[in-house]
Amino acid sequence: MMAGGKSRVLPLARRIERRRHVVFSSPLFLYGFLPSTLAAYYLSPRKWRNAVLLLFSLIFYGWGEPICILLMLASILWAYLWGFPIVRLQKRSPRWARWAAVASVLGNLSVLIFFKYTNFFLQNLGLQGIEGLVLPIGISFYTFQILSYTVDLYRGEIPLQRDLISFGTYVTLFPQLVAGPIVRYCEIDGALRERRETVTQFASGVARFCCGLGKKILLGDALWAGYNALRQYAVIAPTTLGAWLTAILFTLHLYYDFSGYSDMAIGLGRMFGFSFPENFRYPYVAKSITEFWRRWHITLSSWFRQYVYIPLGGNRRGRWKQSRNLAIVWLLTGLWHGASWNFVLWGAYFCVILICEHFLLKDFLKHLPAAAARVYTLLLVVVSFAIFSSGTLAELVRSLRAMVGVGVLSFADETVVYRLTRLLPLLLISAVGATPLPLRLWNKTTEKRRAAELLLPVASAVVLVLCTAYLADDAFRPFAYLNF
Amino acid sequence: MKKTAWLTSLCFLGLIFTGFLLLLFGEDRAFSEQENRALQTRPRFTLEGLLSGTVERQTEERYGDQLPGRDRLIGWKGLMEIALGKGENNGILLGKDGRLARGGGELLFANGERFFECDGYDPAHVANACAGIVRAHEALGDRFLAVLTGRNLDIAASAFAYPRAHGIGLEAQLNRELAEVPRAEVISSLRERFQMGEEVYYRTDHHWTTLGAYYAYREVMTRLGLEAEILPMETFRRVGAASSFRGSLWSAGGMRWVKPDSLELWLAGNESELTVTADGRPLPGLYAEEWLSRKDCYSVFLDGTHDIVTVEKKGEDRPRMLLLKDSFANSLAPFLAQHFDLVLLNLSSSRRDFTDLTRRVEEWDADYCLLVYTLENLLSTDKLSRLR
Repeated sequence: MMAGGKSRVLPLARRIERRRHVVFSSPLFLYGFLPSTLAAYYLSPRKWRNAVLLLFSLIFYGWGEPICILLMLASILWAYLWGFPIVRLQKRSPRWARWAAVASVLGNLSVLIFFKYTNFFLQNLGLQGIEGLVLPIGISFYTFQILSYTVDLYRGEIPLQRDLISFGTYVTLFPQLVAGPIVRYCEIDGALRERRETVTQFASGVARFCCGLGKKILLGDALWAGYNALRQYAVIAPTTLGAWLTAILFTLHLYYDFSGYSDMAIGLGRMFGFSFPENFRYPYVAKSITEFWRRWHITLSSWFRQYVYIPLGGNRRGRWKQSRNLAIVWLLTGLWHGASWNFVLWGAYFCVILICEHFLLKDFLKHLPAAAARVYTLLLVVVSFAIFSSGTLAELVRSLRAMVGVGVLSFADETVVYRLTRLLPLLLISAVGATPLPLRLWNKTTEKRRAAELLLPVASAVVLVLCTAYLADDAFRPFAYLNF
Repeated sequence: MKKTAWLTSLCFLGLIFTGFLLLLFGEDRAFSEQENRALQTRPRFTLEGLLSGTVERQTEERYGDQLPGRDRLIGWKGLMEIALGKGENNGILLGKDGRLARGGGELLFANGERFFECDGYDPAHVANACAGIVRAHEALGDRFLAVLTGRNLDIAASAFAYPRAHGIGLEAQLNRELAEVPRAEVISSLRERFQMGEEVYYRTDHHWTTLGAYYAYREVMTRLGLEAEILPMETFRRVGAASSFRGSLWSAGGMRWVKPDSLELWLAGNESELTVTADGRPLPGLYAEEWLSRKDCYSVFLDGTHDIVTVEKKGEDRPRMLLLKDSFANSLAPFLAQHFDLVLLNLSSSRRDFTDLTRRVEEWDADYCLLVYTLENLLSTDKLSRLR
């Protein structure tokens, strides 16, 4: 029965659904945008291919929100133009080169801060927020990519990109534009200048794309539906089992949604001759939170390590400074995910755990049996995503209290048990799928038998058709990470 | 390895380019019979529409709606969901003998918030709805009778593994809060009949069958003290009007292998003596038979949804009954029309507001007032709480 009248309907989903966008897991992308782009790309002479990608990426980005293209183009132009003085001044006057780099970075950062954090700051100061201020999709991702170019250029680690089209292609490249992986310029500079597309690379891209599509649609969205039903039900009848099940479903959903997207991005990159960095490496088999963050959203962690943590001194200047550096990085990581206190708290939560692991628990975790270490990690991760998914502080407190059995009607009721029973096969498949086991099994199967050669094309086609079936029967459902 | 690469690439390209060409040059379908809804066709391209995002939205919807083989694909998805052990697809449960029911439904909360596909209910919202019914009874006295009908899960509960606790709680709350209000108790009586093997609700639709409507009619007449006038079953000639009725649950559930229902019309033989109008226009009779050849066969009763429907018997001065109702009343009306002149006001109408019940009863000079409403609508709208 109803425990309290108040309810919160998925603020994250509500924020995402306010705007439309071409997403990889949509019929328009699969049967409209992708074939058009592939045809235009491969029918164009090699020297025009970056321009073709730029054009289609702008259409992809501007779809439904054309005005945001201008903002992104301005950010690109700003970083591109400052690149020239940065390089030119480096030998003559390094101090001025630094100022040029600072100007470039500040310009782009201020756009990100303005759109993402203005209302958050104003509202926390008790002031009226700016009405109609919409967060442009993917701004956190492309701003970080642009910043990596400027900083690496200033450090002399990459050559100046004189070709605006190529630089624009790097920033706007549609596979990774709106939700990563965050590709550092140095990682694709060579491919932007010259790349050879091969059928082997294309096919591996197809396989990776279909794998990601399946992860997102067949598992991620199904987990979301289960999570959504239980989260709503928790308002009517909070139970301890329900709270844990909700948190576990969200934990699995986020992995399949986000890593599915990254797989699709990496696969699409390969179809166009690019090689993007990996973003996930089975994070839920990690044996500590430190290891978890080496496996989860790898490109974001590397970015912060490369451009914030190490420049601040990293772990080289004693415990206090290392703790301070970790605190800064995790405050920023939390804020990067969204202008909301639950994200700040989420960052702080990981910061505390990481500091504890670094200075107190290192040896203890090393000697812990693998299974126990994994349970320890998963418990902390599940709780972290309960913080992450909460729309308000009150909801967060309610969820956490319910998880420890406070403020609930019972440990479980028959509705929660019913939902659990119905979701059990999906939960088991998702849990096994989040480990390296399926890949090992796949490799073993395809290595041994010749007929297994046919498995890849058949499996890819079957997944594509099944996903299309789900899309045919489903409403628009964007990726959770589009919002960051 | 190279052969695998070629095969993988060609299979993928073959599929996406086939879809691409069919969507580009194929002819659009304007309506889906299976889903009983209009489909998005090719949008008209204008600069204004493009800048406002309308063209983009419609294009996205068109790609979803016009996917080649869409009806078949939807069936495959339903099959996959059931194979995964979920026991439901799109919130529609699959029960014994291919019986369908909506699981968690749309819920409106007393504080105005709305949840979709949610289990349970908000007691405060139900209390508000009951208060509206109590108000109506207080204003109309003995002329008023409430007929609250159940959802498939309330009636065919034994066909599903879905938990009953909330359903039982809801019925208990209604019994408690409406203790003083005259009610035709159809939920428990139809449930009992279902358990005895009678088909009182459709398997693929959310409505009661004509048999279920007949039992409801008997409950109504008994509750009005007109037991002696009840027409026995044998009075009616039962005509199998449609044998492939695929109802609303079938459309939403995507379980295309589920067998269709058959729909019966029970004819008393005097239907031609009745004059029926819908929203001021005359209807050919109680039954609009053109619906029988379409998917939504239930609309055969009183031609589906209209705001105001009247039924009168020529040259006879009969008592008048006003039905404030949802679509369940449409198949109940032919039975009641044997005794009363009827005025049916659609409480679910989005165009007209009929919640000022006492005024409507006076306006139509009604001798009886029947509220025929399903629990599904009670839980998802605020119409009952606004009754006055």
